[in-house]
Amino acid sequence: MSTNHVLLSPAELAYLHASLSLLPPLRPDGRAPNQYRPVSAETGVLPGANGSARVCFADGTEAIVGVKAEIEKTASRPGLDGEAEEGGLDLGQGAVDDDDDEPSDDASRQGSNEWVEMTVEIPGYRDDDASTVFLAAMLSEALLADGEFVRRLWINRRFHWKLYLDIILISPPLSYPLPLLSLTTHLALLATRLPRLKSEGDEDPLFDDDWAASEYLYSREAGKALSRPPLTLLVMAVGNNIIFDPAKEELAVADVALAVSVGEAVSKAKEAMDVEGGRALRLLSVRTIDPPSRLTPPGVPNATNSAYGSAAAVAGKQKQPSQPEGRTLEMEQVEGVWKAPRGGAKVLVMASLVDKVLEKGGVADELFDALEAVDLG
Amino acid sequence: MASLKRSAISDPFASNISSKVYVRSTKSGKVQKIVREVYLRQDIPCSSQLCQACLKTAPRNAAGELTPFVLSDRPAGTKTYPQGHYLVPDTNAFLSAMDLFEQSSAFYDVIVLQIVLEEVRNRSLPLYNRLVGLTKSEDKRFYVFFNEFRLETYVNRDQGETVNDRNDRAVRKAVKWYGEHLAQTKTKKGEAPAVVMLSNDRDNLRKAKAEGIPASSLADYVGQLKDGDKLLDMIPDAQDRDVVRDKKSNEHLYPEYLSLSKLMTGVKAGLLHQGIFNVSPYNYLEGSIRVPAFPKALLILGRENINRAVDGDIVVVEVLPKDQWKEPSTKVLEEDALTKNENADTEEGQDFITEKERKALQEEAKRTLQKTTEGHAQPTARVVGIIKRNWRQYVGHIDQSTVSQAGKQGRKQDTVFLIPMDKKIPKIRLRTRQVAELLGKRILVTIDAWDRDSRHPAGHLVRSLGELETKAAETEALLLEYDVQYRPFPKTVLDCLPKEGHDWKVPASTDDPGWRDRADLRDLLICSIDPIGCQDIDDALHARPLPNGNFEVGVHIADVSHFVKPNNAMDMEASIRGTTVYLVDKRIDMLPMLLGTDLCSLKPYVERYAFSVIWEMNAHADIVGARFTKSVIKSREAFSYEQAQLRIDDASQQDDLTNSIRTLLMLSKKLKQKRMDAGALSLSSPEVKIQMESETSDPIDVKTKQLLDTNSLVEEFMLLANISVAGKIYEAFPQTAILRRHAAPSKTNFDELSNQLKVKRGMELNVESSRALADSLDRCVDPKEPFFNTLVRIMATRCMMSAEYFCSGTQSEDEFRHYGLASEIYTHFTSPIRRYADLVAHRQLAAAIGYEAVDPSVRSRGRLEAVCKNINVRHRNAQLAGRASIEYYVGQALRGRPAGNEEAFIIKIFSNGFVVLVPRFGIEGLIRLRDLAEPEPAAEFDPETYTLVTSGSRQVKVDLFQKVVVKVSDEKNELTGKRGVKMELVSP
Repeated sequence: MSTNHVLLSPAELAYLHASLSLLPPLRPDGRAPNQYRPVSAETGVLPGANGSARVCFADGTEAIVGVKAEIEKTASRPGLDGEAEEGGLDLGQGAVDDDDDEPSDDASRQGSNEWVEMTVEIPGYRDDDASTVFLAAMLSEALLADGEFVRRLWINRRFHWKLYLDIILISPPLSYPLPLLSLTTHLALLATRLPRLKSEGDEDPLFDDDWAASEYLYSREAGKALSRPPLTLLVMAVGNNIIFDPAKEELAVADVALAVSVGEAVSKAKEAMDVEGGRALRLLSVRTIDPPSRLTPPGVPNATNSAYGSAAAVAGKQKQPSQPEGRTLEMEQVEGVWKAPRGGAKVLVMASLVDKVLEKGGVADELFDALEAVDLG
Repeated sequence: MASLKRSAISDPFASNISSKVYVRSTKSGKVQKIVREVYLRQDIPCSSQLCQACLKTAPRNAAGELTPFVLSDRPAGTKTYPQGHYLVPDTNAFLSAMDLFEQSSAFYDVIVLQIVLEEVRNRSLPLYNRLVGLTKSEDKRFYVFFNEFRLETYVNRDQGETVNDRNDRAVRKAVKWYGEHLAQTKTKKGEAPAVVMLSNDRDNLRKAKAEGIPASSLADYVGQLKDGDKLLDMIPDAQDRDVVRDKKSNEHLYPEYLSLSKLMTGVKAGLLHQGIFNVSPYNYLEGSIRVPAFPKALLILGRENINRAVDGDIVVVEVLPKDQWKEPSTKVLEEDALTKNENADTEEGQDFITEKERKALQEEAKRTLQKTTEGHAQPTARVVGIIKRNWRQYVGHIDQSTVSQAGKQGRKQDTVFLIPMDKKIPKIRLRTRQVAELLGKRILVTIDAWDRDSRHPAGHLVRSLGELETKAAETEALLLEYDVQYRPFPKTVLDCLPKEGHDWKVPASTDDPGWRDRADLRDLLICSIDPIGCQDIDDALHARPLPNGNFEVGVHIADVSHFVKPNNAMDMEASIRGTTVYLVDKRIDMLPMLLGTDLCSLKPYVERYAFSVIWEMNAHADIVGARFTKSVIKSREAFSYEQAQLRIDDASQQDDLTNSIRTLLMLSKKLKQKRMDAGALSLSSPEVKIQMESETSDPIDVKTKQLLDTNSLVEEFMLLANISVAGKIYEAFPQTAILRRHAAPSKTNFDELSNQLKVKRGMELNVESSRALADSLDRCVDPKEPFFNTLVRIMATRCMMSAEYFCSGTQSEDEFRHYGLASEIYTHFTSPIRRYADLVAHRQLAAAIGYEAVDPSVRSRGRLEAVCKNINVRHRNAQLAGRASIEYYVGQALRGRPAGNEEAFIIKIFSNGFVVLVPRFGIEGLIRLRDLAEPEPAAEFDPETYTLVTSGSRQVKVDLFQKVVVKVSDEKNELTGKRGVKMELVSP
């Protein structure tokens, strides 16, 4: 999708670029730089799934995510849990010890990245298309980054849940779908519920057959999730301006575009933080995205444009080096003329991008708050 | 964004649709979330004959007919509801008191809510089946109302509401709706009947009261009925149990069971073992369980290890550490003897293990310690969980000693012990208000529960069968104990009989469809030979010389499959009954009388349909050819064995019929010789015949059965027919033929017997093959004691496996063998009137010879396996019931006429007693040391040489196989009110 060409003329591109470089930037749809497009969302759209969500952006893009969980036997990993063989089936006395609270055996909970399978489907693209695979990789990378997520799928030393996330964009990709898919996945995971475990210790798992008794994958208290899945934000920079959730046109002129995945930092001191009313955000991953701007053909100043012939030369009254075969040469930035960005992102810009994302009360924070308000019925 | 979810606002029909969400765990370990849509409707009728509104809307079938409404328009009234009432019991009411609902004196017009029915099914399948049976019976007027599909009675689960609460609310809502619905019917006769909820749940009752719904607890409701006092005993007293539990909540007598998931994991991992729990018939504290992981059964010793398992339960056990392995007990322990002074009322004052039990255990331990031979110890185990209770209804009588004085007079509720007839079942604690009436009666009870803190299981009364030792009560008790279906055939079954009834005849015209493909054998000289008074004549025979010097021999079997078509009600009933049960004075038929004793029975002088097997044999009884055909025969005579024998022996009788019997006899002797040469076993079990007084049918004497040549004549040809048919149907249906096999016994089965023979008599028992066994049994002869050989055969028979029916696809071909008959293949074909297996074989043979199309039921392997499983059980139960009946009548025959100086043989020795077999009566009896003399003589038991030497008050030495003289008398145990055979040692 990054190669998704926008049909804008170099002049239009130059105009967009210029207005986005203003301070404060002027976005084509009038949004503030850190403002997301209006979103409507609902969860539980797929009754048969363990969790599902549907999100629509105001521009008409729409995605559905379904989460299905299956029981799977954990392949024994010799070295890692050798003692499971003898000590594993302590029936009777031993089982009582297993009832202890989570933290004590937290250490023994080891997840594996293979426990999550994510597929992304974009209409009009093959499922092995590089961009689709890249999107899935980015989304799962964020989810698996800190190993925290797969640990939730641990049932006991012999069994785990295998989670299948099916992410489907149901509208044509009108803009780069990453933010939409990430939001939807986030919501679907928040809404995901797993049957309540009735067995103890390392027995074959036995579950409560009452769905109402099932437990949220991200446990909740008083309607609020105690922790939440990560979010991947699309951020771009034009000049020194940082712009969140760029529309397709905006992305076409980005100097640099980043997919930043943010999670909540899990710390023992979390409660203390909550008292302060904030949440500790944590950077999980950053990926640069090839913005289409790099592929747009550069504009040519009228002065050098041979199409305008001498008239132009006259108007410019400037001596221009003659251009053989009409090939555009690299030139200095000319006001009002589109020039595709070259080279990598500047380190300083990157740093400020990340800072901006993680900022307390910043976009990510706001987004988390907003998603919390979605009813998980 | 328009929501994709269904909502009440957007969809005008949303109220008609709801959904059910639950988690399903499959056997393969999958866990799925299941969402089912529920479509609510308004045309489900209330089924009250009072209701006009429902009559209009109720759905009709394709023919435009309405299912007739069930609930009476004039239901019975009670004090509280004089206008009449319908009952709506909740789940627990059914679970705890199903027996009440089966009463014929009350409980009519009952509305069974769908939600209740489903809950009952989830909780207990047997109870569910009984409930379904009730809803099908026409006179009880039970109506299943699908409340979960009717719009008005459907309730949505509230946030945070438990499933149970939601279901209770659904029940209340249905009751309420019913009440309001019926109130609109406006009968001319006055008020509409009340709709009353029955529940034992206090909370539910309270809520119903608050909502103004008529409701009553079971006890209150039953109290209003006419014979309420009696019925009250059928309600297990849940509240009372709660009180008891509170009193000693932290002191449990039995260890807790492991959770189901733990059990399953353990069994899968091979650390725990699952099997059927069996109690030793001689020692109630010793159980055993056969599990696939061990070649020998695991022992389960002691109350604590048995941990509330009851004989027949499917349990999970854990093997105990090796230092706790023990030998099987050599001691007889009878529960009523050891624990007879227990008081059923006051349990808490007592130790868990009574003093006497402890003493018995001590002695046991001492004995084990003295022994140095470690090799004898067997692995022991303890019960850690129960997969499935196999509790049925138990017959027994009340232990008199547990009855308090007050209980004998008043109507106060009293707790007493019930001693089951089956010694393997523990005493059952019973609460009843009718002790005085129940004393000395045979009663039927069920076990409700066995709590951790109760020494004995708690049960409740189902009904009284009648006075102890009356023929009716004892016979019914027997039938109940052995699960024999003895109720009269229902109307649906009788409807399957031919309309002509007893006037049915073989059609005169051979063009009639009944004659299609039937051979006309009416001119053959066919006769039947059966015991005296036999009415259901299955088989008839004929033989005639052929011009080529060979003989034609025919076996003609009643053509039952002509009358019993597959899958109709009669076929179903017969397949459930499985076999006809013969008691001493009674026969419980598999098929209705009309067929069994008339239309199918090959009675003499009339034409009957038959299925014939006809062989051509040479003079050496070698089969030259065989053919199978449906036929019409006319039996010339129905002989008894004795008559036939007399006729053969009477040389003056030279008519064709007698000569053909002589031919049959000649051939049968040759057949028998061949069979013996092939290694067929001649086994023995004591068989006796009870002689009855013809008027009162009271038993007057016991005789051992005599075997005549003619018995073996019939037997040989029946065996031959069975073998021939087995071969034919197996050839036609290699996967689904119904066959009978007798597995070779495992050698270890004979270990003890061959060791005993070796030690005591220096005889060898060779169990290599059936031939070798037959030969070595022949050699076990004591010249001084003619009965010794029979004794050994009886004991050898007990080491054998029992023969079983099976479907040919379930076993490999070399497993088909019938060990006892030394035949490669065998089935049952010759008694279709009294055995269901034979009927199936008939159908298969008919299909094999192209007489009729193959019915799916005889071709479906799964169906046949189920049939085989059932008839194997029924067959065994029928045998046991028959034996128990004989035993009872032997006891009755001895009543007041003790038989002194009877010969008896010692067949089993314990350290505190021995078992003797009295050949004349075919019964066994236990003689305990304490029966020998007063005080009990000391004794030394040597298990190596099977000798018991007593000293002290009486000095005797008894050996295994020893012939002794005993006095057999009947004895009524005053303590238990039980009459039994008592044996006293006369000499030595």
